[in-house]
Amino acid sequence: MEYNGAAIIAMKGKNCVAIAADRRFGVQAQTVGTNFQKIFEMGPRLFIGLPGLATDVQTVFGPYFVEPVIAGLDPKTFEPFVASMDLIGCPMVPDDFVVSGTCSEQMYGMCESLWEPDLEPDDLFETISQALLNAVDRDAVSGWGAVVYVMISLKFLTKKKTRYKRH
Amino acid sequence: MAIAGEDFSVIASDTRLSQGFSIHSRDLPKTYKLSNSTVLGACGFHGDVLTLTKVINARLKIYENEHHKKMSTTAIAAMLSTMLYYRRFFPYYVYNIVAGLDDEGKGCVFSFDPVGSYERESYRAGGSASSMLQPLLDNQIGFKNQQGVERLPLSKDKVVNLVKDVFISASERDIYTGDGIIINIITKDGVQEERFPLRRD
Amino acid sequence: METQFTTEFWRNGPTPGGLYQFPGQGNNQKVSQYGPAKHTLNLSRLMKVNDSTIIGAGGDYADYQFLKSLIEQRVIEEECLNDGFNYTPNSLYSWLTRVMYNRRSNFNPLWNVFVVGGLQNGEPFLGYIDKIGIAYQAPTIATGYGAYIAQPLLREAYEKNPNMSLTDAERHIDRCLKILYYRDARSLNKYEVAIVTKDGSIVKGPISSNPNWEVAKMIKGYE
Repeated sequence: MEYNGAAIIAMKGKNCVAIAADRRFGVQAQTVGTNFQKIFEMGPRLFIGLPGLATDVQTVFGPYFVEPVIAGLDPKTFEPFVASMDLIGCPMVPDDFVVSGTCSEQMYGMCESLWEPDLEPDDLFETISQALLNAVDRDAVSGWGAVVYVMISLKFLTKKKTRYKRH
Repeated sequence: MAIAGEDFSVIASDTRLSQGFSIHSRDLPKTYKLSNSTVLGACGFHGDVLTLTKVINARLKIYENEHHKKMSTTAIAAMLSTMLYYRRFFPYYVYNIVAGLDDEGKGCVFSFDPVGSYERESYRAGGSASSMLQPLLDNQIGFKNQQGVERLPLSKDKVVNLVKDVFISASERDIYTGDGIIINIITKDGVQEERFPLRRD
Repeated sequence: METQFTTEFWRNGPTPGGLYQFPGQGNNQKVSQYGPAKHTLNLSRLMKVNDSTIIGAGGDYADYQFLKSLIEQRVIEEECLNDGFNYTPNSLYSWLTRVMYNRRSNFNPLWNVFVVGGLQNGEPFLGYIDKIGIAYQAPTIATGYGAYIAQPLLREAYEKNPNMSLTDAERHIDRCLKILYYRDARSLNKYEVAIVTKDGSIVKGPISSNPNWEVAKMIKGYE
Protein backbone atom coordinates (compact mmCIF):
# COMPACT_ATOMS: atom_id res chain seq x y z
CA MET A 1 0.00 0.00 0.00
CA GLU A 2 2.67 2.51 1.07
CA TYR A 3 4.97 1.55 -1.80
CA ASN A 4 3.02 3.48 -4.44
CA GLY A 5 0.45 5.36 -2.36
CA ALA A 6 -3.20 5.92 -3.21
CA ALA A 7 -6.50 7.26 -1.92
CA ILE A 8 -9.95 6.19 -3.06
CA ILE A 9 -13.39 6.98 -1.69
CA ALA A 10 -16.85 5.86 -2.77
CA MET A 11 -20.01 7.46 -1.40
CA LYS A 12 -23.73 6.94 -1.64
CA GLY A 13 -26.15 9.77 -2.35
CA LYS A 14 -29.82 10.05 -3.17
CA ASN A 15 -30.32 7.93 -6.31
CA CYS A 16 -26.70 8.51 -7.11
CA VAL A 17 -23.28 7.25 -6.18
CA ALA A 18 -19.79 8.67 -6.51
CA ILE A 19 -16.27 7.33 -6.59
CA ALA A 20 -13.11 9.42 -6.40
CA ALA A 21 -9.39 8.73 -6.51
CA ASP A 22 -6.14 10.67 -6.40
CA ARG A 23 -3.91 10.69 -9.49
CA ARG A 24 -0.41 10.28 -8.08
CA PHE A 25 1.85 7.47 -9.18
CA GLY A 26 4.97 7.28 -7.05
CA VAL A 27 7.63 4.87 -5.89
CA GLN A 28 7.87 5.45 -2.14
CA ALA A 29 8.72 9.15 -1.69
CA GLN A 30 9.45 9.82 -5.35
CA THR A 31 6.57 10.98 -7.52
CA VAL A 32 6.80 9.45 -10.99
CA GLY A 33 3.48 10.40 -12.58
CA THR A 34 0.54 12.64 -11.83
CA ASN A 35 -2.09 11.21 -14.13
CA PHE A 36 -2.29 7.61 -12.99
CA GLN A 37 -5.57 5.82 -13.54
CA LYS A 38 -6.84 4.04 -10.43
CA ILE A 39 -10.55 3.88 -11.26
CA PHE A 40 -11.76 1.56 -13.99
CA GLU A 41 -15.12 1.32 -15.69
CA MET A 42 -16.25 -2.28 -15.40
CA GLY A 43 -19.63 -1.90 -17.02
CA PRO A 44 -22.56 0.51 -17.30
CA ARG A 45 -22.91 2.38 -13.99
CA LEU A 46 -20.19 0.26 -12.41
CA PHE A 47 -16.73 1.41 -11.39
CA ILE A 48 -13.92 -0.18 -9.44
CA GLY A 49 -11.13 1.68 -7.69
CA LEU A 50 -7.89 -0.16 -7.07
CA PRO A 51 -5.50 1.38 -4.56
CA GLY A 52 -2.40 -0.68 -3.84
CA LEU A 53 0.67 -1.95 -5.61
CA ALA A 54 0.59 -0.18 -8.99
CA THR A 55 1.89 -3.17 -10.94
CA ASP A 56 -0.97 -5.28 -9.59
CA VAL A 57 -3.47 -2.57 -10.45
CA GLN A 58 -2.40 -2.94 -14.08
CA THR A 59 -1.54 -6.60 -14.32
CA VAL A 60 -3.78 -9.58 -14.91
CA PHE A 61 -2.07 -12.06 -12.63
CA GLY A 62 -2.65 -12.54 -8.95
CA PRO A 63 -2.24 -12.35 -6.07
CA TYR A 64 -3.06 -8.70 -6.21
CA PHE A 65 -1.85 -6.34 -3.49
CA VAL A 66 -4.84 -4.05 -3.85
CA GLU A 67 -7.75 -3.15 -1.59
CA PRO A 68 -10.57 -2.57 -4.06
CA VAL A 69 -13.41 -0.10 -3.82
CA ILE A 70 -16.56 -0.77 -5.83
CA ALA A 71 -19.24 1.76 -6.64
CA GLY A 72 -22.23 1.46 -8.90
CA LEU A 73 -25.96 1.54 -9.45
CA ASP A 74 -28.00 -1.64 -9.51
CA PRO A 75 -28.66 -2.54 -13.18
CA LYS A 76 -32.39 -2.99 -12.56
CA THR A 77 -33.41 -0.90 -9.58
CA PHE A 78 -30.71 1.81 -9.89
CA GLU A 79 -30.15 1.40 -6.16
CA PRO A 80 -26.78 2.94 -5.15
CA PHE A 81 -24.12 0.45 -4.08
CA VAL A 82 -20.69 0.90 -2.53
CA ALA A 83 -18.35 -1.75 -1.18
CA SER A 84 -14.74 -2.28 -0.29
CA MET A 85 -12.49 -5.29 0.22
CA ASP A 86 -9.21 -6.13 1.79
CA LEU A 87 -6.47 -7.69 -0.33
CA ILE A 88 -7.75 -11.23 0.16
CA GLY A 89 -11.29 -10.32 -0.81
CA CYS A 90 -13.19 -9.94 2.45
CA PRO A 91 -16.03 -7.60 1.48
CA MET A 92 -17.62 -4.74 3.40
CA VAL A 93 -20.90 -3.33 2.12
CA PRO A 94 -21.95 -0.34 4.24
CA ASP A 95 -24.80 2.06 3.59
CA ASP A 96 -22.82 5.30 3.69
CA PHE A 97 -19.27 5.39 2.28
CA VAL A 98 -16.09 3.37 1.89
CA VAL A 99 -12.48 4.49 1.88
CA SER A 100 -9.28 2.73 0.91
CA GLY A 101 -5.65 3.70 0.49
CA THR A 102 -2.70 5.08 2.40
CA CYS A 103 -4.60 7.89 4.10
CA SER A 104 -7.67 5.94 5.19
CA GLU A 105 -7.67 7.52 8.68
CA GLN A 106 -7.73 11.00 7.17
CA MET A 107 -10.48 9.95 4.75
CA TYR A 108 -12.52 8.41 7.55
CA GLY A 109 -12.19 11.63 9.55
CA MET A 110 -13.37 13.72 6.61
CA CYS A 111 -16.17 11.40 5.46
CA GLU A 112 -17.48 10.83 8.98
CA SER A 113 -17.87 14.60 9.41
CA LEU A 114 -18.94 15.74 5.93
CA TRP A 115 -21.16 12.92 4.72
CA GLU A 116 -24.90 12.97 5.35
CA PRO A 117 -27.72 10.77 4.01
CA ASP A 118 -29.58 11.54 0.76
CA LEU A 119 -27.11 13.96 -0.83
CA GLU A 120 -28.11 15.27 -4.25
CA PRO A 121 -25.58 14.66 -7.08
CA ASP A 122 -24.08 18.17 -6.90
CA ASP A 123 -23.72 18.01 -3.13
CA LEU A 124 -22.36 14.48 -3.33
CA PHE A 125 -19.75 15.68 -5.81
CA GLU A 126 -18.66 18.50 -3.51
CA THR A 127 -18.65 16.27 -0.43
CA ILE A 128 -16.57 13.49 -1.94
CA SER A 129 -14.18 16.00 -3.54
CA GLN A 130 -13.60 17.90 -0.30
CA ALA A 131 -13.25 14.66 1.64
CA LEU A 132 -10.62 13.31 -0.74
CA LEU A 133 -8.65 16.52 -1.31
CA ASN A 134 -8.31 17.46 2.33
CA ALA A 135 -7.41 13.88 3.24
CA VAL A 136 -4.65 13.50 0.63
CA ASP A 137 -3.19 16.86 1.63
CA ARG A 138 -2.25 15.25 4.97
CA ASP A 139 -0.68 12.22 3.28
CA ALA A 140 2.79 12.36 1.73
CA VAL A 141 2.28 9.51 -0.74
CA SER A 142 -1.05 10.41 -2.31
CA GLY A 143 -2.47 13.50 -3.95
CA TRP A 144 -1.50 15.39 -7.10
CA GLY A 145 -5.05 15.99 -8.24
CA ALA A 146 -8.11 13.84 -8.19
CA VAL A 147 -10.72 12.34 -10.46
CA VAL A 148 -14.37 12.06 -9.47
CA TYR A 149 -17.13 10.03 -11.10
CA VAL A 150 -20.74 10.62 -10.14
CA MET A 151 -23.27 8.08 -11.38
CA ILE A 152 -26.90 9.02 -11.67
CA SER A 153 -29.52 6.73 -13.12
CA LEU A 154 -30.82 7.83 -16.51
CA LYS A 155 -34.37 8.49 -15.37
CA PHE A 156 -33.17 10.95 -12.74
CA LEU A 157 -30.57 12.42 -15.09
CA THR A 158 -33.00 13.35 -17.85
CA LYS A 159 -35.28 15.01 -15.38
CA LYS A 160 -32.56 17.09 -13.82
CA LYS A 161 -30.48 18.06 -16.89
CA THR A 162 -27.23 18.09 -14.96
CA ARG A 163 -23.78 18.52 -16.37
CA TYR A 164 -22.77 14.92 -15.85
CA LYS A 165 -21.89 12.60 -18.64
CA ARG A 166 -23.66 9.31 -18.79
CA HIS A 167 -21.43 6.37 -17.97
CA MET B 1 -6.93 19.67 19.78
CA ALA B 2 -6.76 23.43 19.89
CA ILE B 3 -7.92 26.37 17.81
CA ALA B 4 -6.86 30.01 18.15
CA GLY B 5 -9.37 32.78 17.57
CA GLU B 6 -8.94 36.55 17.41
CA ASP B 7 -9.18 37.24 21.16
CA PHE B 8 -9.72 33.72 22.46
CA SER B 9 -8.50 30.20 22.04
CA VAL B 10 -10.17 26.87 22.52
CA ILE B 11 -8.51 23.63 23.57
CA ALA B 12 -10.38 20.39 23.99
CA SER B 13 -9.64 16.77 24.78
CA ASP B 14 -11.62 13.62 25.27
CA THR B 15 -11.73 12.11 28.76
CA ARG B 16 -10.84 8.48 28.06
CA LEU B 17 -7.70 6.90 29.46
CA SER B 18 -7.03 3.58 27.81
CA GLN B 19 -4.24 1.04 27.47
CA GLY B 20 -4.60 -1.51 24.70
CA PHE B 21 -8.22 -2.65 24.63
CA SER B 22 -8.89 -1.68 28.26
CA ILE B 23 -10.41 1.58 29.39
CA HIS B 24 -8.71 2.65 32.62
CA SER B 25 -10.89 5.69 33.19
CA ARG B 26 -13.80 7.39 31.47
CA ASP B 27 -13.17 10.70 33.22
CA LEU B 28 -9.57 11.75 32.77
CA PRO B 29 -9.22 14.98 30.81
CA LYS B 30 -5.91 15.45 29.01
CA THR B 31 -6.02 19.23 29.31
CA TYR B 32 -4.20 20.83 32.23
CA LYS B 33 -4.85 24.40 33.29
CA LEU B 34 -1.51 26.09 33.86
CA SER B 35 -2.69 29.65 34.50
CA ASN B 36 -5.65 31.94 33.85
CA SER B 37 -4.50 32.42 30.28
CA THR B 38 -2.79 29.12 29.41
CA VAL B 39 -4.01 25.56 29.11
CA LEU B 40 -1.81 22.58 28.19
CA GLY B 41 -3.06 19.57 26.26
CA ALA B 42 -0.84 16.51 26.73
CA CYS B 43 -1.24 12.96 25.51
CA GLY B 44 0.90 9.92 24.91
CA PHE B 45 2.37 7.86 27.76
CA HIS B 46 0.33 8.82 30.80
CA GLY B 47 3.22 8.23 33.23
CA ASP B 48 5.30 10.79 31.35
CA VAL B 49 2.30 13.15 31.15
CA LEU B 50 1.95 13.05 34.95
CA THR B 51 5.66 13.68 35.45
CA LEU B 52 5.84 16.44 32.86
CA THR B 53 2.83 18.32 34.22
CA LYS B 54 4.23 18.01 37.76
CA VAL B 55 7.56 19.48 36.67
CA ILE B 56 5.88 22.25 34.64
CA ASN B 57 3.73 23.30 37.58
CA ALA B 58 6.80 23.35 39.83
CA ARG B 59 8.70 25.49 37.31
CA LEU B 60 5.72 27.87 37.04
CA LYS B 61 5.68 28.30 40.85
CA ILE B 62 9.43 29.00 40.88
CA TYR B 63 9.00 31.59 38.10
CA GLU B 64 6.12 33.22 39.94
CA ASN B 65 8.11 33.49 43.17
CA GLU B 66 11.20 34.81 41.42
CA HIS B 67 9.51 37.31 39.11
CA HIS B 68 6.36 38.22 41.04
CA LYS B 69 4.20 37.64 37.99
CA LYS B 70 2.58 34.80 36.07
CA MET B 71 4.40 33.26 33.15
CA SER B 72 3.00 34.25 29.73
CA THR B 73 1.73 31.66 27.25
CA THR B 74 4.62 32.27 24.84
CA ALA B 75 7.13 31.88 27.68
CA ILE B 76 5.50 28.66 28.86
CA ALA B 77 5.75 27.31 25.31
CA ALA B 78 9.44 28.23 25.09
CA MET B 79 10.09 26.67 28.50
CA LEU B 80 8.28 23.47 27.55
CA SER B 81 10.43 23.18 24.44
CA THR B 82 13.65 23.29 26.47
CA MET B 83 12.22 20.88 29.04
CA LEU B 84 11.41 18.38 26.31
CA TYR B 85 14.76 18.79 24.56
CA TYR B 86 16.57 18.31 27.88
CA ARG B 87 15.37 14.72 27.67
CA ARG B 88 16.37 14.40 23.98
CA PHE B 89 17.99 10.98 24.42
CA PHE B 90 15.35 9.53 26.76
CA PRO B 91 12.34 11.55 25.68
CA TYR B 92 9.08 12.18 27.43
CA TYR B 93 6.70 10.21 25.20
CA VAL B 94 4.21 13.07 25.19
CA TYR B 95 2.58 15.12 22.44
CA ASN B 96 1.88 18.61 23.71
CA ILE B 97 -0.33 21.45 22.58
CA VAL B 98 -0.30 24.74 24.44
CA ALA B 99 -3.23 27.09 23.97
CA GLY B 100 -3.89 30.50 25.47
CA LEU B 101 -3.58 34.20 24.92
CA ASP B 102 -0.33 35.86 23.91
CA ASP B 103 1.09 39.10 25.36
CA GLU B 104 -1.19 41.17 23.10
CA GLY B 105 -4.27 39.25 24.18
CA LYS B 106 -4.57 37.39 20.89
CA GLY B 107 -5.45 33.70 20.79
CA CYS B 108 -2.45 31.43 20.25
CA VAL B 109 -1.74 27.74 19.85
CA PHE B 110 1.66 26.04 20.03
CA SER B 111 2.18 22.45 19.02
CA PHE B 112 5.17 20.29 20.01
CA ASP B 113 6.77 17.03 19.10
CA PRO B 114 8.03 14.79 21.96
CA VAL B 115 11.58 16.19 21.80
CA GLY B 116 10.72 19.88 21.85
CA SER B 117 10.39 21.04 18.26
CA TYR B 118 7.59 23.60 18.35
CA GLU B 119 5.68 26.04 16.21
CA ARG B 120 2.96 28.65 16.66
CA GLU B 121 -0.14 27.78 14.66
CA SER B 122 -3.76 28.79 14.40
CA TYR B 123 -5.12 25.28 14.85
CA ARG B 124 -3.78 21.80 15.63
CA ALA B 125 -5.03 18.32 16.39
CA GLY B 126 -2.92 15.88 18.39
CA GLY B 127 -3.14 12.35 19.74
CA SER B 128 -4.47 9.05 18.45
CA ALA B 129 -7.25 10.67 16.38
CA SER B 130 -5.13 13.54 15.06
CA SER B 131 -4.96 12.10 11.55
CA MET B 132 -8.78 12.12 11.45
CA LEU B 133 -9.22 15.59 12.95
CA GLN B 134 -6.43 17.53 11.24
CA PRO B 135 -7.72 17.35 7.61
CA LEU B 136 -11.12 18.58 8.77
CA LEU B 137 -9.55 21.51 10.61
CA ASP B 138 -7.53 22.29 7.45
CA ASN B 139 -10.81 22.39 5.57
CA GLN B 140 -13.09 24.15 8.05
CA ILE B 141 -10.69 26.48 9.89
CA GLY B 142 -7.95 26.88 7.28
CA PHE B 143 -10.47 26.95 4.40
CA LYS B 144 -8.15 24.63 2.47
CA ASN B 145 -9.39 23.42 -0.93
CA GLN B 146 -12.20 25.96 -0.85
CA GLN B 147 -12.60 28.61 -3.50
CA GLY B 148 -14.30 31.97 -3.24
CA VAL B 149 -15.00 31.83 0.51
CA GLU B 150 -14.97 34.84 2.73
CA ARG B 151 -12.51 34.41 5.60
CA LEU B 152 -14.65 35.69 8.43
CA PRO B 153 -13.07 35.85 11.89
CA LEU B 154 -13.97 32.74 13.87
CA SER B 155 -16.71 33.03 16.45
CA LYS B 156 -16.47 31.17 19.74
CA ASP B 157 -19.76 29.36 19.10
CA LYS B 158 -18.65 28.15 15.68
CA VAL B 159 -15.40 26.83 17.10
CA VAL B 160 -17.09 25.07 20.02
CA ASN B 161 -19.64 23.46 17.71
CA LEU B 162 -16.93 22.35 15.30
CA VAL B 163 -14.95 20.84 18.17
CA LYS B 164 -17.99 18.82 19.23
CA ASP B 165 -18.61 17.66 15.64
CA VAL B 166 -15.06 16.51 15.01
CA PHE B 167 -14.84 14.67 18.32
CA ILE B 168 -18.12 12.89 17.59
CA SER B 169 -16.64 11.84 14.22
CA ALA B 170 -13.37 10.73 15.80
CA SER B 171 -15.13 8.66 18.46
CA GLU B 172 -16.96 6.78 15.67
CA ARG B 173 -13.73 5.48 14.18
CA ASP B 174 -11.02 5.72 16.86
CA ILE B 175 -11.33 3.25 19.74
CA TYR B 176 -9.08 5.40 21.94
CA THR B 177 -11.39 8.42 21.67
CA GLY B 178 -14.71 8.51 23.52
CA ASP B 179 -16.62 8.82 26.82
CA GLY B 180 -16.70 12.61 26.89
CA ILE B 181 -14.91 15.82 26.00
CA ILE B 182 -13.84 18.84 27.98
CA ILE B 183 -13.66 22.09 26.05
CA ASN B 184 -11.57 24.87 27.58
CA ILE B 185 -12.38 28.34 26.28
CA ILE B 186 -9.63 30.81 27.15
CA THR B 187 -10.49 34.52 27.11
CA LYS B 188 -9.19 37.57 28.93
CA ASP B 189 -11.67 36.71 31.69
CA GLY B 190 -10.03 33.35 32.35
CA VAL B 191 -10.69 29.74 31.44
CA GLN B 192 -14.24 28.52 31.01
CA GLU B 193 -14.89 24.80 30.93
CA GLU B 194 -17.61 22.99 28.97
CA ARG B 195 -18.33 19.27 29.02
CA PHE B 196 -19.96 17.18 26.31
CA PRO B 197 -20.71 13.43 26.34
CA LEU B 198 -19.38 11.06 23.65
CA ARG B 199 -20.15 7.43 22.88
CA ARG B 200 -18.79 5.08 25.53
CA ASP B 201 -18.09 1.93 23.49
CA MET C 1 30.26 -2.46 34.97
CA GLU C 2 26.85 -2.61 33.53
CA THR C 3 24.12 -3.78 35.80
CA GLN C 4 21.33 -5.99 34.62
CA PHE C 5 17.87 -6.05 36.08
CA THR C 6 15.15 -8.59 35.92
CA THR C 7 12.40 -7.83 33.46
CA GLU C 8 10.41 -10.99 34.09
CA PHE C 9 8.47 -11.34 37.29
CA TRP C 10 7.97 -14.41 39.38
CA ARG C 11 4.55 -15.64 38.76
CA ASN C 12 2.73 -15.72 42.03
CA GLY C 13 -0.56 -17.15 40.98
CA PRO C 14 -3.58 -15.07 40.17
CA THR C 15 -3.23 -11.38 40.66
CA PRO C 16 -6.57 -9.77 40.16
CA GLY C 17 -6.85 -7.01 42.69
CA GLY C 18 -10.12 -5.17 42.61
CA LEU C 19 -11.58 -2.57 44.78
CA TYR C 20 -14.37 -0.31 45.38
CA GLN C 21 -15.22 3.03 46.77
CA PHE C 22 -18.46 4.50 47.90
CA PRO C 23 -19.27 7.72 49.62
CA GLY C 24 -21.69 7.10 52.44
CA GLN C 25 -24.18 9.51 53.88
CA GLY C 26 -22.85 12.59 55.63
CA ASN C 27 -19.60 11.97 57.45
CA ASN C 28 -20.13 8.24 57.68
CA GLN C 29 -17.89 7.61 54.75
CA LYS C 30 -16.15 4.41 53.96
CA VAL C 31 -13.90 2.72 51.47
CA SER C 32 -13.58 -0.97 50.96
CA GLN C 33 -11.22 -2.94 48.87
CA TYR C 34 -10.33 -6.49 48.10
CA GLY C 35 -7.27 -8.44 47.17
CA PRO C 36 -7.05 -12.17 46.74
CA ALA C 37 -5.02 -14.48 48.90
CA LYS C 38 -2.09 -15.99 47.14
CA HIS C 39 -2.13 -19.40 45.47
CA THR C 40 -2.32 -22.18 48.01
CA LEU C 41 -0.87 -20.16 50.85
CA ASN C 42 -2.54 -17.48 52.89
CA LEU C 43 -0.43 -14.65 51.60
CA SER C 44 -2.11 -11.32 51.94
CA ARG C 45 -1.95 -8.76 49.15
CA LEU C 46 -3.57 -6.08 51.27
CA MET C 47 -1.83 -3.80 53.71
CA LYS C 48 -3.10 -1.48 56.36
CA VAL C 49 -0.90 1.59 56.27
CA ASN C 50 -2.67 3.53 58.99
CA ASP C 51 -6.20 4.32 60.18
CA SER C 52 -7.07 6.21 57.01
CA THR C 53 -5.00 4.46 54.37
CA ILE C 54 -4.82 1.00 52.81
CA ILE C 55 -3.09 -0.44 49.78
CA GLY C 56 -3.60 -3.54 47.68
CA ALA C 57 -1.01 -5.03 45.37
CA GLY C 58 -0.93 -7.24 42.32
CA GLY C 59 2.07 -8.66 40.49
CA ASP C 60 5.42 -9.77 41.86
CA TYR C 61 5.13 -10.67 45.53
CA ALA C 62 8.79 -10.06 46.33
CA ASP C 63 8.60 -6.54 44.91
CA TYR C 64 5.45 -5.98 46.95
CA GLN C 65 7.20 -7.20 50.11
CA PHE C 66 10.09 -4.85 49.37
CA LEU C 67 7.78 -1.90 49.00
CA LYS C 68 5.71 -2.96 52.00
CA SER C 69 8.75 -2.94 54.27
CA LEU C 70 9.74 0.43 52.82
CA ILE C 71 6.32 1.86 53.63
CA GLU C 72 6.31 0.29 57.10
CA GLN C 73 9.67 1.92 57.84
CA ARG C 74 8.41 5.29 56.61
CA VAL C 75 5.27 4.96 58.73
CA ILE C 76 7.46 4.28 61.79
CA GLU C 77 9.63 7.31 61.01
CA GLU C 78 6.51 9.39 60.61
CA GLU C 79 5.29 8.16 64.03
CA CYS C 80 8.62 9.04 65.63
CA LEU C 81 8.32 12.65 64.55
CA ASN C 82 5.08 12.76 66.51
CA ASP C 83 4.05 15.95 64.75
CA GLY C 84 0.48 14.86 64.20
CA PHE C 85 1.05 14.18 60.51
CA ASN C 86 0.50 10.81 58.91
CA TYR C 87 0.39 9.36 55.47
CA THR C 88 -2.89 10.17 53.79
CA PRO C 89 -4.21 8.13 50.85
CA ASN C 90 -3.35 11.02 48.52
CA SER C 91 0.18 11.48 49.83
CA LEU C 92 0.95 7.75 49.68
CA TYR C 93 -0.53 7.59 46.17
CA SER C 94 1.49 10.57 45.06
CA TRP C 95 4.69 9.12 46.55
CA LEU C 96 4.04 5.72 44.98
CA THR C 97 3.58 7.26 41.51
CA ARG C 98 7.06 8.78 41.81
CA VAL C 99 8.63 5.53 43.10
CA MET C 100 7.08 3.48 40.32
CA TYR C 101 7.86 6.04 37.59
CA ASN C 102 11.47 6.49 38.67
CA ARG C 103 12.03 2.75 38.85
CA ARG C 104 10.71 2.30 35.30
CA SER C 105 12.79 5.27 34.08
CA ASN C 106 15.90 3.48 35.40
CA PHE C 107 14.80 0.37 33.48
CA ASN C 108 14.29 -1.50 36.75
CA PRO C 109 10.54 -1.44 37.38
CA LEU C 110 8.83 -2.80 40.45
CA TRP C 111 6.63 -5.42 38.81
CA ASN C 112 3.42 -4.46 40.58
CA VAL C 113 0.14 -2.73 40.25
CA PHE C 114 -1.03 -0.89 43.35
CA VAL C 115 -4.37 0.37 44.45
CA VAL C 116 -4.39 2.96 47.22
CA GLY C 117 -7.59 3.52 49.15
CA GLY C 118 -8.76 5.43 52.16
CA LEU C 119 -10.29 8.59 53.46
CA GLN C 120 -8.77 11.90 52.44
CA ASN C 121 -10.19 14.69 54.62
CA GLY C 122 -13.24 12.50 55.18
CA GLU C 123 -13.72 11.96 51.44
CA PRO C 124 -13.27 8.50 49.87
CA PHE C 125 -10.09 8.16 47.85
CA LEU C 126 -9.11 5.51 45.36
CA GLY C 127 -5.98 5.56 43.22
CA TYR C 128 -4.28 3.23 40.74
CA ILE C 129 -0.55 3.00 40.04
CA ASP C 130 1.11 0.49 37.74
CA LYS C 131 4.66 -0.66 37.06
CA ILE C 132 5.45 1.98 34.46
CA GLY C 133 4.03 4.89 36.41
CA ILE C 134 0.59 5.17 34.88
CA ALA C 135 -1.64 6.51 37.66
CA TYR C 136 -5.16 7.79 38.02
CA GLN C 137 -7.98 8.15 40.51
CA ALA C 138 -11.40 6.68 39.88
CA PRO C 139 -14.52 5.68 41.86
CA THR C 140 -14.02 2.02 40.97
CA ILE C 141 -10.78 0.25 40.15
CA ALA C 142 -10.02 -3.34 39.23
CA THR C 143 -6.74 -4.78 37.99
CA GLY C 144 -5.55 -7.87 36.20
CA TYR C 145 -8.32 -10.21 35.18
CA GLY C 146 -10.62 -8.10 37.34
CA ALA C 147 -10.26 -5.20 34.89
CA TYR C 148 -12.08 -7.26 32.28
CA ILE C 149 -14.65 -8.98 34.48
CA ALA C 150 -15.16 -7.04 37.71
CA GLN C 151 -14.68 -3.48 36.50
CA PRO C 152 -17.74 -3.40 34.20
CA LEU C 153 -19.88 -4.84 37.01
CA LEU C 154 -18.51 -2.36 39.54
CA ARG C 155 -18.97 0.59 37.16
CA GLU C 156 -22.54 -0.46 36.53
CA ALA C 157 -23.27 -0.81 40.25
CA TYR C 158 -21.61 2.52 41.01
CA GLU C 159 -23.53 4.36 38.30
CA LYS C 160 -26.80 2.96 39.60
CA ASN C 161 -26.03 3.90 43.18
CA PRO C 162 -23.10 6.21 43.87
CA ASN C 163 -24.06 6.44 47.54
CA MET C 164 -24.22 2.79 48.49
CA SER C 165 -23.77 1.48 52.01
CA LEU C 166 -20.83 -0.56 53.25
CA THR C 167 -22.98 -3.71 53.23
CA ASP C 168 -24.00 -3.08 49.61
CA ALA C 169 -20.40 -2.50 48.60
CA GLU C 170 -19.21 -5.66 50.33
CA ARG C 171 -21.98 -7.57 48.58
CA HIS C 172 -20.83 -6.26 45.18
CA ILE C 173 -17.22 -7.14 46.00
CA ASP C 174 -18.26 -10.66 46.95
CA ARG C 175 -20.26 -11.06 43.75
CA CYS C 176 -17.36 -9.87 41.62
CA LEU C 177 -14.92 -12.20 43.35
CA LYS C 178 -17.28 -15.10 42.99
CA ILE C 179 -17.56 -14.44 39.23
CA LEU C 180 -13.79 -14.09 39.01
CA TYR C 181 -13.46 -17.41 40.80
CA TYR C 182 -15.83 -18.99 38.25
CA ARG C 183 -14.08 -17.50 35.24
CA ASP C 184 -10.42 -17.43 36.20
CA ALA C 185 -9.07 -20.97 36.20
CA ARG C 186 -6.08 -19.97 38.33
CA SER C 187 -8.08 -18.37 41.10
CA LEU C 188 -9.07 -19.57 44.54
CA ASN C 189 -12.26 -19.08 46.43
CA LYS C 190 -10.48 -17.15 49.11
CA TYR C 191 -10.07 -13.43 49.45
CA GLU C 192 -9.53 -10.56 51.82
CA VAL C 193 -11.29 -7.24 52.11
CA ALA C 194 -9.79 -4.04 53.46
CA ILE C 195 -12.21 -1.43 54.70
CA VAL C 196 -11.65 2.15 55.74
CA THR C 197 -14.31 4.01 57.66
CA LYS C 198 -14.13 7.11 59.80
CA ASP C 199 -13.60 4.72 62.72
CA GLY C 200 -10.39 3.29 61.22
CA SER C 201 -9.21 0.67 58.77
CA ILE C 202 -9.23 -3.11 58.87
CA VAL C 203 -8.20 -6.01 56.67
CA LYS C 204 -10.85 -8.73 56.90
CA GLY C 205 -10.51 -12.33 55.89
CA PRO C 206 -9.71 -14.70 54.45
CA ILE C 207 -13.32 -14.93 53.24
CA SER C 208 -14.86 -17.63 51.06
CA SER C 209 -17.99 -16.88 49.07
CA ASN C 210 -20.69 -19.44 48.32
CA PRO C 211 -20.15 -20.71 44.81
CA ASN C 212 -22.87 -22.42 42.84
CA TRP C 213 -21.55 -24.84 40.24
CA GLU C 214 -25.02 -26.13 39.27
CA VAL C 215 -24.82 -24.54 35.83
CA ALA C 216 -21.37 -25.98 35.13
CA LYS C 217 -22.72 -29.34 34.04
CA MET C 218 -24.88 -27.61 31.41
CA ILE C 219 -21.81 -26.29 29.62
CA LYS C 220 -21.06 -28.66 26.78
CA GLY C 221 -18.63 -28.81 23.92
CA TYR C 222 -15.30 -28.40 25.68
CA GLU C 223 -14.77 -32.06 26.63
